[in-house]
Amino acid sequence: MNAVQTFKLTKKFDSLVAVNGVDLEIKKGELFSLLGPNGAGKTTTIRMLCCLLKPTKGSASVLGYDVVKTPFAVKRLIGVSPQDTILSERLNCWENLALIGKVHGLSSSEVKRRSTELLETMGLMERSKDQVRKFSGGMKRRLSIAMALVSDPQVLFLDEPTLGLDPQARRAIWEYIAKLKGRKTILLTTHYMEEADSLSDRIGIIDEGRVVALGTAQELKTNLIGMRNMVVSTENLTAEVIADLHGKYSRVAVTKGQLKISHKDLDFKEIVDYLHSRGVAVYSAALDQPTLEDVFIQITGKKLRD
Amino acid sequence: MKFWEIGKRNLKEISRNPVLLGFLLGMPVAFMLVFIAAAGGAEASPIALSIVDEDRSQNSSAFIQYLGSVDAIELNEPLYSEESQAQEDLENGKISFYLLIPSGFQQAQQVHQPINLELVYKEADPMTGLQLKPIIEAVGSGFLGVAPPLNVELKGTASIIKNPAVNFYFPGIAVYGLMILIATAAEIIAGDREKGFLSRMFTTPARPSDFILGYSLPFIPVLIVSALVYLGVGMGLGLTIVGNLGHVFLIFFLIGLCAIGIGMIVGSLIKSESQAGISWLFIVPMAMISGAWFTVDRMPSAVRSVAEALPFIHAIDASRSVLNGASFSAIMLDTYWLIGWAVVLFATGIMLFRRTMVS
Repeated sequence: MNAVQTFKLTKKFDSLVAVNGVDLEIKKGELFSLLGPNGAGKTTTIRMLCCLLKPTKGSASVLGYDVVKTPFAVKRLIGVSPQDTILSERLNCWENLALIGKVHGLSSSEVKRRSTELLETMGLMERSKDQVRKFSGGMKRRLSIAMALVSDPQVLFLDEPTLGLDPQARRAIWEYIAKLKGRKTILLTTHYMEEADSLSDRIGIIDEGRVVALGTAQELKTNLIGMRNMVVSTENLTAEVIADLHGKYSRVAVTKGQLKISHKDLDFKEIVDYLHSRGVAVYSAALDQPTLEDVFIQITGKKLRD
Repeated sequence: MKFWEIGKRNLKEISRNPVLLGFLLGMPVAFMLVFIAAAGGAEASPIALSIVDEDRSQNSSAFIQYLGSVDAIELNEPLYSEESQAQEDLENGKISFYLLIPSGFQQAQQVHQPINLELVYKEADPMTGLQLKPIIEAVGSGFLGVAPPLNVELKGTASIIKNPAVNFYFPGIAVYGLMILIATAAEIIAGDREKGFLSRMFTTPARPSDFILGYSLPFIPVLIVSALVYLGVGMGLGLTIVGNLGHVFLIFFLIGLCAIGIGMIVGSLIKSESQAGISWLFIVPMAMISGAWFTVDRMPSAVRSVAEALPFIHAIDASRSVLNGASFSAIMLDTYWLIGWAVVLFATGIMLFRRTMVS
């Protein structure tokens, strides 16, 4: 039995189709990421799986329980860390954790034991008695994840767990999530490709409500086998040159004098020579491996942050 | 007992929010201090009354003498024989009130015809005039030998009440204070929904009934504490409780439940915490037309009818009556009216809140 399964899951808001026939199978203990830009349908999918929204069509189940027919059975098994860090601001860490733990039916002693463990793991013990409204964004996010974990759920939904955090705080959250791998089934949504790439067992790329690609990070990149990226720092780049390059290569992008060319069997020397011949000054040039961003661009024709 | 956990959280959120508490407790207390201070301080002083005696008879003189013997009234000298002179002095600010004893007073008394006395007062000071009216009615009834029960009762309590201004203003301000629960409840529900806290809680196994109880029960201790604080401050300012304190508390409790119900309705209908300010568009006009600060006697009948249909005027009238000595039977209808409203408003609030959760 899969931990999470959806079949043709669809959600419409009037004429807007937010999620369009999504089929997912997430195995027990797997960390699955839904990667996509804002508005792709990631949060709507999670909200349906958490029984917050009723699907317009299709079905979804968590550990065999249908999210529409048996919502309370589903809610007993899941932990949710929503996209916005939602805490009870005038309560301290202990009180926030106790609220969720006790609503899940845990005893006071069990809540205390779990809270102590989580506060230590999340590095919040020192400030645990302060009202959380005084916390930084990163601390709040860590507490939010701890609240999702306090009931020891079998399935954990993390909706954009690092959204809006600085790189240091983001990295700390990644470490905590990595520690949970294999122990919990985790469905994580993100629009940070690096996050999906480094944490996930499998990734579903979602765009305009549809899952457009599915597989491990490596599998997704393998689809671009032979594709290489070349990044060139230039000056005197003209519109004519760019148009010419567009005619020759699969993908050409220019940002602040930096030229990025993607193409199968890309010839480094040929490009540099061509640019020189057209009077373009080349300051540096490098080849790199395709990223999930490249995969996304290849599949959807647009950037993740468009 | 999931509702208990949600309720505990909400009670902590309220009790740790100084701005909210300041509004709930501080604003009505400040109102009491300002209104009662403006109404004349702690001691009740006699009201200076001028007399226009157009009858100039033996009976009218006796009546004037009888009026002069009442502690609450201080008669101005000399008496006017023409109303025009008294009117002029009233307009010039030399006097504040005059009582017109019309010609035919003695004759009407002898043949047991109705006697129409006219009390004229400054438009700027209707309050004292209205306080004076029942005193004169009571004195008049006593002098003429007619004693309707209401007048006798008024006469009885008038001597006990230390400060009529406090007893007049306190119920209105206390009910107004409890009406602030409307804005508080609306703000908490709408705020939790806007910030997503309710959504987060909806992903837990708590049932709709847990949320409903968890979001309504915490206001009950808040309501009890508020009512006790208001009563304490009122008594400190010279409030005289002639009737049963328990009845006063019951009235406050019922109007508090109505306010929580309205708060749940508003909180379920509005989209954001900032929109909870809309409640004030309801609270302030309702307090005004319900006689929280001013008497409703001279309001247009249409406005009065609206006020009578709503619960607040009943809470103010009933608590004012009990404070001044009325028994429970005298406020029974008001109490039933309040119970009815509390049930309707609470049920509607629960229904709308539940709808919010389902959607």
